[in-house]
Amino acid sequence: MNALRCMPYVLRQVARHRIRSALTVLGVAIAMFLFTAVQAMNEGVTEATAATANDTTLVVYREDRYCPATSRLPQDYQRRIESVDGVVSVTPMKIVVSNCRTSLDVVTFRGVPKDDFIADRGDEIELIAGSIEDWRRRTDAALVGETLAARRGFRPGMTFDAAGITAYVAGIIRTDDAQDHNVAYTALEFVQLAHRDELGVVTQFNVKVRDASVLERVAEDIDAIFATAQEPTATFSEKAFIGRLADDIIELVGFARWLGLGCLAAALALVANSIVLAVQSRVSEHAVLQTLGFSGRLVSALIIAEGVVLALLGGGLGAAAAVMVAANSRYALSVEGTSIPIVAGPGLLAWGLLVCGGIGVIAGLVPAWQASHRDIAERLRAA
Amino acid sequence: MDTIIECRRLTREYRKADTVIRPLDELDLDVPRGDFLALMGPSGSGKTTLLNLIAGIDSPTRGQLLVEGADIGALGRNRLAAWRSRHVGYIFQLYNLVPALTAYENVELPMLLHPMSRRERHERIVAALDRVGIADRKDHFPRQLSGGQEQRVAIARAIVTDPAIIVADEPTGDLDKPAAHAVMTLLQQLNRELGKTIIMVTHDPAATAYAARTLHLDKGRLVEKDSIGGRLEAEEASV
Ligand SMILES: Nc1ncnc2c1ncn2[C@@H]1O[C@H](COP(=O)(O)OP(=O)(O)OP(=O)(O)O)[C@@H](O)[C@H]1O
Ligand SMILES: [Mg+2]
Repeated sequence: MNALRCMPYVLRQVARHRIRSALTVLGVAIAMFLFTAVQAMNEGVTEATAATANDTTLVVYREDRYCPATSRLPQDYQRRIESVDGVVSVTPMKIVVSNCRTSLDVVTFRGVPKDDFIADRGDEIELIAGSIEDWRRRTDAALVGETLAARRGFRPGMTFDAAGITAYVAGIIRTDDAQDHNVAYTALEFVQLAHRDELGVVTQFNVKVRDASVLERVAEDIDAIFATAQEPTATFSEKAFIGRLADDIIELVGFARWLGLGCLAAALALVANSIVLAVQSRVSEHAVLQTLGFSGRLVSALIIAEGVVLALLGGGLGAAAAVMVAANSRYALSVEGTSIPIVAGPGLLAWGLLVCGGIGVIAGLVPAWQASHRDIAERLRAA
Repeated sequence: MDTIIECRRLTREYRKADTVIRPLDELDLDVPRGDFLALMGPSGSGKTTLLNLIAGIDSPTRGQLLVEGADIGALGRNRLAAWRSRHVGYIFQLYNLVPALTAYENVELPMLLHPMSRRERHERIVAALDRVGIADRKDHFPRQLSGGQEQRVAIARAIVTDPAIIVADEPTGDLDKPAAHAVMTLLQQLNRELGKTIIMVTHDPAATAYAARTLHLDKGRLVEKDSIGGRLEAEEASV
């Protein structure tokens, strides 16, 4: 109760030691910006690669191949895959990317049979602009994921060039699947014919199975069928497939987590330094507060509160800035036709603030203890 | 007569290795309610030590100390803090205002410990500032005030919670004559008009004229003034 009534004292200390507070807040903000950015990438990796009970998609790829340019499978595998028990639908895909390297701004074309695609995915897809009819009619039409559309400024009716393909934006779509956010769906033949004559050749098959429990068995069955074929296959759950193609990015993001933790340590050191210096310069002030009747516990609480306020101000600024940048720039890490989203939302912001609150408390613990446990009379005498 | 402070064989010792320092040595003292007591004595005679014990920021090694009927030597840390916030105001030689707070906010500090409406708190702070004649400087920071003004803010801070006892450790020690006179007049008013019991340590014989009586301390005991007078003069001559 007393501590709440004393909050004005804490806020005044923060506000009136302006330069100290501003520098601390700035430093913490930068550290938390980096931490939050790394965390956003990390959450994207988790979302793209961590298996869940709802996963029912398999990807059939050419064995021993790791990129869309070299995975070439005959389109007529489709019928034999469809015959495997547990398979619900099979979508052949030809994938072309505008940039073979890992990049934040890749356009990925996914050529699919239009009617099958609508039949399979129609109810998951929310059209946020344009028209599906338009897409069905025009051979060069593309349905563009909302992240890609927002990043490149695509609107229905526009045409765009990427990967040597000129396509027409028929509609912009939104789905729950991160793999759809950053791609342009076009007719399968359109992509097959765009470069060389590759009619009849696809990059992969996306296979829907009855339920998650049969994923593994179906994958084995499919690979068994083509084990002796000229183009053998390797089949994975979609999440594992992404993990396999994007493993270098995932490793990088994993390493970046250490940098993120380093940022937290830097923020902690910064706040702790600020509080230690403040407490050292206020030795007699705290003794005076205790003389006025403030208990040692209350003085400790006020010191810790000051650390928490500084950390929350800095952390709030940094994390909010990172979430805003991530949300507005609409970047996704694309690699070999798969996409690792950057997941930054209110949850991440709340997490960032929580971490900062913790940093503030830890930073103040030792100085708070020291300030309140030394003899009052002795501290007054030293002043 | 109502005795507000009662010291019986009050002793404070510091032990370091095998030496014992005894700033207060079995001191007996009764202070009646409403007294204005000046304490004099050579440096190191235990004056500040005695004030600190009475104010509850230090605890006696032996002996008994009753303040307003409470055996404050026996209270725990937290209970003692709560006791201080209600019963004593402390005035320091160097004012000890919080530099980051305005005059008003400094006086508000001890009020933060007492639950009351915003309005009541505000009225009491303004009344305290008025009483010390510094209401027009309430939004100024300590660095913008003279020493005399700072001390008046500190006095307002000591009386705002309306404690029965005020202790003052050389309150005019850092002030020139006119400012010292103003502060002493103020303390005298608090004693006469509000009935505060005041215990003031001073080195300034002029300040004792405002007090109701003066006691002399030497080596942790109360003594007759004459017995240390000669020694004091000798000390002064040697400076
Ligand atoms: N924490 C401590 N440890 C050891 N000795 C101490 C401590 N605090 C005070 N003393 C000693 O107690 C004695 C009395 O000190 P005190 O401050 O009460 O004197 P004083 O009468 O107020 O002197 P002055 O007029 O100089 O303020 C001094 O000798 C001092 O050195
Ligand atoms: Mg002293």
